[in-house]
Amino acid sequence: MLPALLLDRVTVPGRDHPRLDQVSLQLAVGERVALIGPSGAGKSSLIAVANGLLSPTAGQVLWQGQPPARHGRLRRRQQGRIGTLWQDLRLVEELTVQQNLNAGRLAEWGWPRALLNLLLPLETGACRELMQRLDLDPALLSQPVAALSGGQRQRVALGRLLRQQPQLLLADEPLASLDPRLAAELLALLLRQGEAPRALLLSLHRPDLLQGFDRVVGLRQGRVTLDRPLPAAGAAALTAELQQLYAGAAR
Amino acid sequence: MMASVGAARPAPALWPLLPALVLVPLLVLLPALVHGGGWELVGRFALGALRPSVDPVVLRSVLEGLAVTAGTALLGWAASLLLGLTLGIASARVVWQTCLGAEWPALLIRRLLAIPRSIHELLWGLLLLQLVGLQPAVAVLAIALPFGALVARVVSDQLDSLPRQNLEALHAAGSPGPSALLTCLGPPLLPRLLSYGGYRLECALRSATLLGVFGLGGLGTELRLTLQSLAFPELWTGLWLLLGTMLLLEAGVSGLRRRWAMPLRFSGAAAPGVGRQGRELLLAALALIPLAVAVAWALQIHPSQLLQWQGLPPLGQPQWQAVAALPWSRLILNTLLLTGMAAALAVGCAPLLLLLLPPWAAAQLALRAFWALGRLWPPPLTALLLLFVLQPGVITGALALGFHNLGILGRLLLEASAAADAGPGQALQLAGCGPRLALLYGRFNSLARPYLAYGAYRTDVILRESVVVGLVGATGLGTQLLEALSGFAWDQLAALLLAYALLTLLGEALSDRLRRRLSQVG
Repeated sequence: MLPALLLDRVTVPGRDHPRLDQVSLQLAVGERVALIGPSGAGKSSLIAVANGLLSPTAGQVLWQGQPPARHGRLRRRQQGRIGTLWQDLRLVEELTVQQNLNAGRLAEWGWPRALLNLLLPLETGACRELMQRLDLDPALLSQPVAALSGGQRQRVALGRLLRQQPQLLLADEPLASLDPRLAAELLALLLRQGEAPRALLLSLHRPDLLQGFDRVVGLRQGRVTLDRPLPAAGAAALTAELQQLYAGAAR
Repeated sequence: MMASVGAARPAPALWPLLPALVLVPLLVLLPALVHGGGWELVGRFALGALRPSVDPVVLRSVLEGLAVTAGTALLGWAASLLLGLTLGIASARVVWQTCLGAEWPALLIRRLLAIPRSIHELLWGLLLLQLVGLQPAVAVLAIALPFGALVARVVSDQLDSLPRQNLEALHAAGSPGPSALLTCLGPPLLPRLLSYGGYRLECALRSATLLGVFGLGGLGTELRLTLQSLAFPELWTGLWLLLGTMLLLEAGVSGLRRRWAMPLRFSGAAAPGVGRQGRELLLAALALIPLAVAVAWALQIHPSQLLQWQGLPPLGQPQWQAVAALPWSRLILNTLLLTGMAAALAVGCAPLLLLLLPPWAAAQLALRAFWALGRLWPPPLTALLLLFVLQPGVITGALALGFHNLGILGRLLLEASAAADAGPGQALQLAGCGPRLALLYGRFNSLARPYLAYGAYRTDVILRESVVVGLVGATGLGTQLLEALSGFAWDQLAALLLAYALLTLLGEALSDRLRRRLSQVG
C-alpha cells in the first residue's frame, strides 16, 4: 500500500540555519506519529510542508504516492485528502457552527451548495451526529463560532476537519493552549480518528503526552534526530533519548 | 434548548453582494434605453485608447491642463486641511468641555458646518463663478469649502470618540486645558488624520478634474472639449496622463500610509495607535508651505481678486408660485432613485467582480485597470459618452455615477481584503477549496460589516454627487439645479439648493445611523 505521506530529503531554508534540513519521513496508512522537539526545531515547518503550505527548495514530497500538482483541479483534489488542525484553529468567526462544519465539505461541493450553505442550514443530520461524536450540544449548531468557549471551538475545528474526511490528518500543536483535561480528551479523539484507513501526524511540545502513538519522531534544528516505534511501555522507555533531544534547548 | 434550524439569515459574506441584485432590473430596462445611434462612435472612442495622439501641440496643452488641475487640487486640499483642522477642533465637544466646561458651542458650530458640507463642490464652483467671474481661485475655493467642512466633521468625530481617561487624569492633576488636550488627543489623532488627509488629496484631484469639465479650467476642460469635438486620440492623451498621475499619487499615498503606520480607510483590523517618523512628518508638513506658495504663484492666484465681486445679473422679482409649481415630488424621487441605483451598483459590483474574476494575475490586473479608469473618468464625461448609445435619464446617470464609485469602492475593498486575516481562507484552500470560494468564506465574512459601513458613507457622498450627472437631463434635482444656475433663476436656485441640502443632511443622518448599527452588531 502507498504511504500516506512521504518526505524525501526535504529542505526549507531559514535565516540562521535551515528550517528543515534533509528531512526524510514516511507515514504508513493507519500510523499515528507524534512529532516532538524543542521550540524552533522545525515542527511547524514540517507540518506546513506536509499540507502544502510551504514548498521545499530541495527534496520531494509525495501524497499517497503522488507529487503535489502545481495548481488546478488535481491540486484541489489532493488538498482535499489532507486535513489540518491549526493551532489558531482558523475558524470563520462570523459563521455559525454548522456553516463552519460544512466548510469542510467545500472541496466536494460546487458553488451552488457553497452559496446555499451561507443562506440555509445544510446537512443538519450529519452535523448533529458529528456534534454528538465530539461531545458537543447539537443546539450549538446555530450559534456563531465567536460565541463559543475555547474548548468548544477546538472541537468545532476538529469537526470541520472530520467533515472533510481527509486521509491524512495533520495537527500543529493542537494541545498547546488547552488545560490538561481538555488536552487529554482532544488527543484521545485525534488518536481514534487517526486509525486506518487514515494516518495522523501531530506535533507536540510535551513528551508526557506520547501515550497512544505508534511512533515518535524527534526534530532538532531542522533535522530528524529520533525516529522510533513507541514501545508499549510508552515514553518511559525513551527517557534518555528524549532528554538528549531537549538537552541545552532554550525552553 | 435552542433550535438548530432557526430562522436562517444570510451569512455576512453574502451581505455585500445583495446590492448587486439591482443588476436584474437594470438589465431588463436597459435594452429599451438603447437608441443605437452611436455604436460607431463608441468603437472609435475605444480604438482611441490604443492610439493616443502624441502631437507635440496636443501634448503641451494636455500637460498644461494637467498642471493646472494638479495645482488646483493641491491648493484646494491644503486649504481644506487647514480649514478642517481648525473648524474640527472648534466643533469637538471634548475641546469645549475641557476648556470651558460646556458643550453647546461645539454643537452650534457643528450644525453650521452642515451647510457648506451638504453642497457639492461643483455647486460651490458654479455659484462662485457667478459671483466673482472665472479665475483660478474659484476652483481652489470650491474644493476648499466643502472639503474643509468634511474634514472638520471627521476631525471632531475622531476627537470625540477617543478615550478620555488620560485627559481627565491630566486635567485633574492641574495641567491647563489646551496642553492636556494636545498631549492626550494629539498622538492618537495624528495617524487617522494623515490617513484621511491622504485620501482627501486623491479626492481633490478627482474634484479638480470634474470642475474643469464644467469650465473651471485645467485638464477637465480639455477632456470635455475633445470629447465634444469627437477628437478621441487627443482625449486619450489626456486620459492616459491623468491615469498615470492618479496612480502615482495613490501609490505615493499608500506608500506613506505604510511608512507612517497609518490605518486604512476601512478594514476589519483594529487601527494601530500612533504614527511613526515624527520628524519626517514635520518636514513634509513644512515643505508643503513653500510648495503651496509656488503653486499659487504659478497659477496666478490672487486671493484679493476674490473680493472683486462682479455685478450679478438683474435678479428680478421672485416668483415663488412658479417655484412651488415645480414637480418637487418627481424631482426628489428621481434624485433618490439615481442615488440608490448608483450606490447599489457600486457597492454590490465591487465584491461581485472580485468573486467572478478568475484568480489569474492578468485578470486581477485588468480589473484594477478597469477600476482605476472608473475613478479617474469624471462621471459627467461617462454620462456624455453613454449618451452616444443610451437615452438620457436616471439610469444613464446612475450608470455613470455607479461606474465612478465602483472604481473607488473596488480599490478600497482590495486594499482591505489584502490587509484582512488570511488564516481562515488559507485553511480552507489547504483543505481543497478553490481560491474564490476561500475568498468568499474567509475574508468576505470579516470584511462585510466594515465594507457595508463604508458603503453607507459612500451612498451619502453619491447623493451629494448626483448633481454632477445632471447635465444628461431628467435626473431630478441635479438637472433642475444646473438649469436654474445657467439661467440664474435665483428664486428657483435658492429653493433647489435648500431642498438639496435638506435631502443630503437627511441622507447623512440615515447613513450615520446605519453605520452605527453595523459597527455595534459586530
